[in-house]
Amino acid sequence: MRGRDRWATLVIVALVLGAAFPFYRAVAGSLTPEAQLFEGAPLWPSPPVLEHYRALFAEREFWLPIRNSLVVAGATTLFCVTIGSLCAYALARLRFRGKALLLGVILAVSMFPQIAIVSPLFLLLRSVRLIDTYPGLILPYLTFAMPLAVWLLVGYFRQLPAELEEAAMVDGAGRLRAFREVIVPLALPGLAATAILTFVYSWNEFLFALSFTLGPERQTVPVAIALFRGQYQVPWGQVLAAAIVATAPVAALVLVFQRRIVQGLTAGAVKG
Amino acid sequence: MGHARAALACPTRVGYRGSVKKTGGHRVLRVATVAWSALLGALGCASERPGGPATVTVSGSVLGAEGRILRRQLERFDRETPDIRVEMRPTPDAADLRHQLYVQWLNARATDPDILQVDAIWTPEFAAAGWILPLDRFAPDTAAFFPVTIEANRWRGDLFALPWFVDVGMLYWRTDLFSEPPETWDALERAVIPIVAGGSPRYGLVWQGARYEGLVTVFLEYLGGFGGRILDGDRVTVQEPPGVLALTTMRDQIHRTGVVPRRVLTWHEEEPRFAFQNGEAALMRNWPYAAGPMQDSTQSRVAGRFAVAPMPAGPGGRHTAAFGGAQLAINAFSPEAAAAWLVIEYLTRPEQMLERASIVGQFPTRTAVYDDPALADALAIPPAQARAIVEAAVPRPVTPVYTQLSEILQIQLHRALSLQAEPRDALARAGSEMQALLDRAGLGRGGVAVR
Amino acid sequence: MVAPAVVTILLVALFPLTWTVWESLHLHDLRMPWLGQPFVGLENYAEVLRDRRFWGAMGHTLWFAAASVSLELVLGCVLALAMNRTFRGRALVRASILIPWAIPTVVAALVWRFMFEGLEGWLTHDLRAWVPVILSDVWKTTPFVALLLLAGLQGIDPALYEAARIDGASPWRQFRYVTLPLLAPAIMVALIFRTLDAFRVFDLIYVLTGGGPGTATEPIALYTFNTLMHNLRFGYGSALSVLVFLVTFGLALGYIRLLGRGLTDVRS
Repeated sequence: MRGRDRWATLVIVALVLGAAFPFYRAVAGSLTPEAQLFEGAPLWPSPPVLEHYRALFAEREFWLPIRNSLVVAGATTLFCVTIGSLCAYALARLRFRGKALLLGVILAVSMFPQIAIVSPLFLLLRSVRLIDTYPGLILPYLTFAMPLAVWLLVGYFRQLPAELEEAAMVDGAGRLRAFREVIVPLALPGLAATAILTFVYSWNEFLFALSFTLGPERQTVPVAIALFRGQYQVPWGQVLAAAIVATAPVAALVLVFQRRIVQGLTAGAVKG
Repeated sequence: MGHARAALACPTRVGYRGSVKKTGGHRVLRVATVAWSALLGALGCASERPGGPATVTVSGSVLGAEGRILRRQLERFDRETPDIRVEMRPTPDAADLRHQLYVQWLNARATDPDILQVDAIWTPEFAAAGWILPLDRFAPDTAAFFPVTIEANRWRGDLFALPWFVDVGMLYWRTDLFSEPPETWDALERAVIPIVAGGSPRYGLVWQGARYEGLVTVFLEYLGGFGGRILDGDRVTVQEPPGVLALTTMRDQIHRTGVVPRRVLTWHEEEPRFAFQNGEAALMRNWPYAAGPMQDSTQSRVAGRFAVAPMPAGPGGRHTAAFGGAQLAINAFSPEAAAAWLVIEYLTRPEQMLERASIVGQFPTRTAVYDDPALADALAIPPAQARAIVEAAVPRPVTPVYTQLSEILQIQLHRALSLQAEPRDALARAGSEMQALLDRAGLGRGGVAVR
Repeated sequence: MVAPAVVTILLVALFPLTWTVWESLHLHDLRMPWLGQPFVGLENYAEVLRDRRFWGAMGHTLWFAAASVSLELVLGCVLALAMNRTFRGRALVRASILIPWAIPTVVAALVWRFMFEGLEGWLTHDLRAWVPVILSDVWKTTPFVALLLLAGLQGIDPALYEAARIDGASPWRQFRYVTLPLLAPAIMVALIFRTLDAFRVFDLIYVLTGGGPGTATEPIALYTFNTLMHNLRFGYGSALSVLVFLVTFGLALGYIRLLGRGLTDVRS
């Protein structure tokens, strides 16, 4: 078995290095003066400069899209986890007609191609003057975030023993109270995983944000970066600096909560 | 955070507007729309931008030198005109991105920005859609501008935007490699092939070849050089022999003679400028802006060793420069049109143009400015030569569907240049698709013209 | 209890979808307000069927989905098998391969574009331009596939391998006759998710190639987006949207049927 373990280690090291190489290039590029970036950057800049990071915040006001992304992804997550957990609890515990159908619809909506609803959403948001506003992004985000949250949470709630809340209800607590006081504390890890995944998906979303925002005031991070292109060129140094900045929060989330994320991902997918 | 505050201030009003009725002509749809609006209302009511009595917002480039000069001029206007406050609204610098943003704004009937910096090719489109105001009511002194700049901004006889600065395509050539600029494509190829074969510099001619509007401007210059046109009135003529000849010349320069490097197919303006400025290209097609940074010897290896000339011509054509540049227009939904006009009038005064020219190198649109001796110091090339190139500039087709026509053409040009199609076939396909578009828009042969 | 979530889903997803269908039966060109908004029946659909760019985009989408998903499954399987062995620093490895998955697609695409921009002749060649596109997708989503498969692997009873070894089965035969069949459900799930995702590909190509050179790498979602948001042909674009939806839905339905009760079984 030793030979095979060595093989496994080799594969892993190769793939991890492969996964890391683009990041290395991005970091190196973000520290390289713009004139050297033309036609491919050197492997390591000499000397490295922080100019692009400075320009990013001083000239581009990159904190604006960061703020927007935080607001939009945060609100979407909050909304989905609260409303979604009620729905998921009902789906996990209660018996009612059409439950299977409902689960099916939720699954189907989560597989929706977003492009299919861009045009009516645009016309609707325009008619109620929500283009280029936070609600005008949060609402469309619910289309993918809500089914995701419900689907993940149903899985978590099912894992919890039903006896606990039954005991609580025998003691005179209502369904909602049993949910609030027994289930929610027990399901906190699951709720956290759901929140993280919802947040990451919302943070990364591009199509809706591109279609429903009009300018830097409301653009999210991915849109702002994608539209960095100047009148005459792509300012690669700043683009790469922004890429690093945009990656940092999700990378941090992943590193801290990786176990939860993996559980959430595999539970949500394998079970659904 | 203005929107958020405005939204909080009116918690009871549901953002339902009469215009919804128009969009959802069906009863079920309408009911659902109301439900939708209620949902939206619960989350936060329709946003309203805060606006004082005379605040004018100007959209345009806010980065680099262009942004600094605009900011300085607007601050000066603010001081001189205390009852109007001017604000800048940043927009993307890439023309296609800015165009898309404007379309989204105007299509969403946004009331600001009040003043739009538009490319000449957008003016008819925005005018026909009713998105910008005719300016004749303000009696602009159109006679003081180059006629080509005024004509490009007219739609059905009315002027819809005032020219701000001119861009023209020019050939930059190295005075240390050539004794005179090549007059014809044949002469250019004869002169460049030995240079490229020697590898120093490594590129012959570089231009903008990515799939975007810049490619169309380059093609327009080759096309004019062979005597062709994209559109003749309401008839598409790009697929005719001059077009095929022009596109074949471009393709052969990349793939047969190697005069043009293949990598231009992803290049916008700045990559060729870097290549030329680093001394890696013998010739470059670019806009006037490039001259400024290239004369700066701290960053340029060719400072003092280049000059400009008109683009070469082929048989049956003439030297052609694509006409571009920026115009200022007023948003049709702006509540401050009169104040906006005052700002436009200020920004297009001769002294502002002169200042712009000296700092950003952009060519003025007023003919009289070229007689001002101060311009000679401001521009990187002699004003008389600049003026001659502007006067010979060729506008792109003036039609409200220009951007769609251009998209079709860009795709087919790019296919031919990346060897996915023969020039003849690519242009034939572009021609039929463009004609179909014109016909569908009611602008083509026998259509009920909007005009 | 279900009402708020269900109402939200209905309003933000199903109602707009209905509207898309309605729009697709009209000529509605926001750029040409003078044409009005007449009902045209199935005319938009007829035009789609004649539209070469549409068929090209469909072909590109299918090719992208097939190429990227099969590569991801193979690589993901190798990675999962390797990670299934306990070793030191496992948590670190897991976290580091998760990062590409977690970052915005736009960022991933930009980084890959940056790396390929300096190489002559890749982004300008109609076939070679697919290399960065597919590579970046593989880079970004193989971790997801690997983790799914890893979860599947961990569910396999080690006693089965023990028995196979006692029977003298080679490692390959163990993989072929023990691992693969038991991993099949996890593979199917990964296949479904990845195919549907690949079919919706938009961000990656929008940023990496913009669909070029020409339209050689333009997927259907990008073509639809350009029709809707650039050219503002809402009627025609809606017809495209409906077709995208139908194809995706058909795929999903087919898969779900294929998996049969697998999904709901695990669920309950």
